[in-house]
Amino acid sequence: MSSISHKPKTILIVDDDLTNRLVLRALLTEAGFHTVEVENGEQAVQAVEEQHIDIVLMDVMMPVMDGYQAAKIIKSRQSRFVPIIFLTAMTDESALAKCIEAGGDDFLTKPYNHVILASKIDSMLRISSLYQNIEEKNKEIQESHFLIQQEMNVSKKLFDKIIRNDMRGKETGLNYSMSPMSMFNGDLIIAEKNQTDGLNILVGDFTGHGLSAAIGAIPVTDVFNSMTQKCFEFTEMLVEANEKLIDLLPTQMFMAAAMISIDRSNNIISVINSGLPDIYLYRDKKIIRTFKSGNIPLGISGLSASQLEVEMETLQFGDRLYVATDGVMEATNESGAMYGLDRLLQVFDGNNDSDCLFDSILQDVSDFCDGAAQTDDITLLEFCHLEKVEYKKGIEYSNQYREPSDWSFQFSLDIASLRQFEILPYIMQGVNQLQPLEYGRTSIYTVLTELFTNALDHGVLKLDSSMKSTPQGYMDYYQEKQKRLESMSEGHIQITLSHELSKDGKGGRLSLGIIDSGEGFDHGATDLVNKNQFSGRGLKLISSLCTEMKVLGKGNSVMAYYDWSSEN
Amino acid sequence: MSISISTSEDNKSATIKINGRFDFSLHNDFRKSYKDVSLPSGQYIVDLSGTDYLDSSALGMLLLLKEHAESQSSNVRLVNFSEDIREILTIASFDKLFSLD
Repeated sequence: MSSISHKPKTILIVDDDLTNRLVLRALLTEAGFHTVEVENGEQAVQAVEEQHIDIVLMDVMMPVMDGYQAAKIIKSRQSRFVPIIFLTAMTDESALAKCIEAGGDDFLTKPYNHVILASKIDSMLRISSLYQNIEEKNKEIQESHFLIQQEMNVSKKLFDKIIRNDMRGKETGLNYSMSPMSMFNGDLIIAEKNQTDGLNILVGDFTGHGLSAAIGAIPVTDVFNSMTQKCFEFTEMLVEANEKLIDLLPTQMFMAAAMISIDRSNNIISVINSGLPDIYLYRDKKIIRTFKSGNIPLGISGLSASQLEVEMETLQFGDRLYVATDGVMEATNESGAMYGLDRLLQVFDGNNDSDCLFDSILQDVSDFCDGAAQTDDITLLEFCHLEKVEYKKGIEYSNQYREPSDWSFQFSLDIASLRQFEILPYIMQGVNQLQPLEYGRTSIYTVLTELFTNALDHGVLKLDSSMKSTPQGYMDYYQEKQKRLESMSEGHIQITLSHELSKDGKGGRLSLGIIDSGEGFDHGATDLVNKNQFSGRGLKLISSLCTEMKVLGKGNSVMAYYDWSSEN
Repeated sequence: MSISISTSEDNKSATIKINGRFDFSLHNDFRKSYKDVSLPSGQYIVDLSGTDYLDSSALGMLLLLKEHAESQSSNVRLVNFSEDIREILTIASFDKLFSLD
């Protein structure tokens, strides 16, 4: 009869009548059960608490505590399933219903038919064993859920530490809202100051969401931070991040991204949109430029910087840029409708106060969804081009004081190396290793960049700087530069850097010389400082940043000197 | 089933047709549909005429199909898609990876 387990099951018999107990015991013992007998409800409650009881056979009418009350107590106190079968002489329906209501699982009417009794016990034991199985599985699930939760919490902390670099603020012009669908965000925003004092911003959206989507954010952040720190061009960073992601991500995963670089020396914004929705530039209450995706998302196929479609626009102070991931357009309400582009554009159209536009968009999306469960990570970014910026946090350089020393090095680059190789970050790294300068770093980098760009653009590539006098001209200039760089067959640039210890030994003079193969210019006749807005600014900037500057020879050689002292 | 595949008699092309939403829920079915198909130097045609929505995981699945096709020196062509789907494919610049028409 008991096919469930080989171990004899224990059955509690609760009846105030001795004869009834003896009859039941005889029946059950013969069937292979172990029995425990008590005389009333109170004793039954106690027995269930003290011993392992598999099934309770409960009489209804008993002194001290009746069967209904005992059943209620047992059911409320036991977390495991203890089946209770009521034994009753009553046959009226309401009494039987009361048995079930009190927590009984079945009932049996006296006098007992031993076949029915046996099959009821058997069926209860089967249910009981199912319950037990479920309970064990539940416990396992709870335990592993707890472990997963703990691991997630730890990972989340590590993850946030790696990804964290929040450049948001009224002083930086950057604002964004990220609303991940789960604990880990498959959307990514990284921003860092570049050498023009503007920002490089990367907005990324990995396929899917959750941990698997978020994991790719780590190498991308790593590339972005280390390359910004080393002053690489933002196009190079995108190429490098792409390579990393191709290596790392499985075929079906990729990152739609936009790389935005704000050049504050020229007030130019450059955007590379690789698979994100349209990016809007907003001025005087109108969208004045849409940057559409023109590139494959990252992590799919290899590409070089020259294959990237870079779009540029001149910026005016107060201009605002809006970037959203597809989670915004595809935000879904209860009835399954998507927010969509039209609604977004209506918010732009209906807006009267630029300061509120960002919040209005978020509010409109949230109103539309009206509490419906989020189906993707939602990210919205706003960048406002401010007249004056201030950054609390910047790249943290591991600056280590080195005793001033004398050194020099020189690079000579022919046209092929100029085409293929971004030399400046390496030179800056060399300088930083030899002579870390706490305050002069940005100035030196700017001077070096300006001199190098002048030598390349005007000396080697013979570009006319007057082209840059209009915003459109600036774009043409940039394109022409790429074209000439690809096709030019001769030309070279020589860069010399040297450092000379000052007499008191507490500082020194850094000398920076650049000679190009070009024809130079009549520097005697050129008023270096007073040229128009779009050209000649380079030399003006250099003079203001370094201690002294000289144009030599026929105008194809420039020397700049930067004096420093550790006492400053 | 919302995915069906038919191979041409000359074994030069196979057409995969997707009905309804093309999203992560079709991941296994989509993969299964072409897994055992071998088309040396042929063409996989993905017919999107019955597809009303396509998300980024669907783009990922198309990349997997491309990988499968390229291992057999075949290519992938996406056909009969709506304007909405064209927009999604264009944003991802998939015209640079697949032939679209």
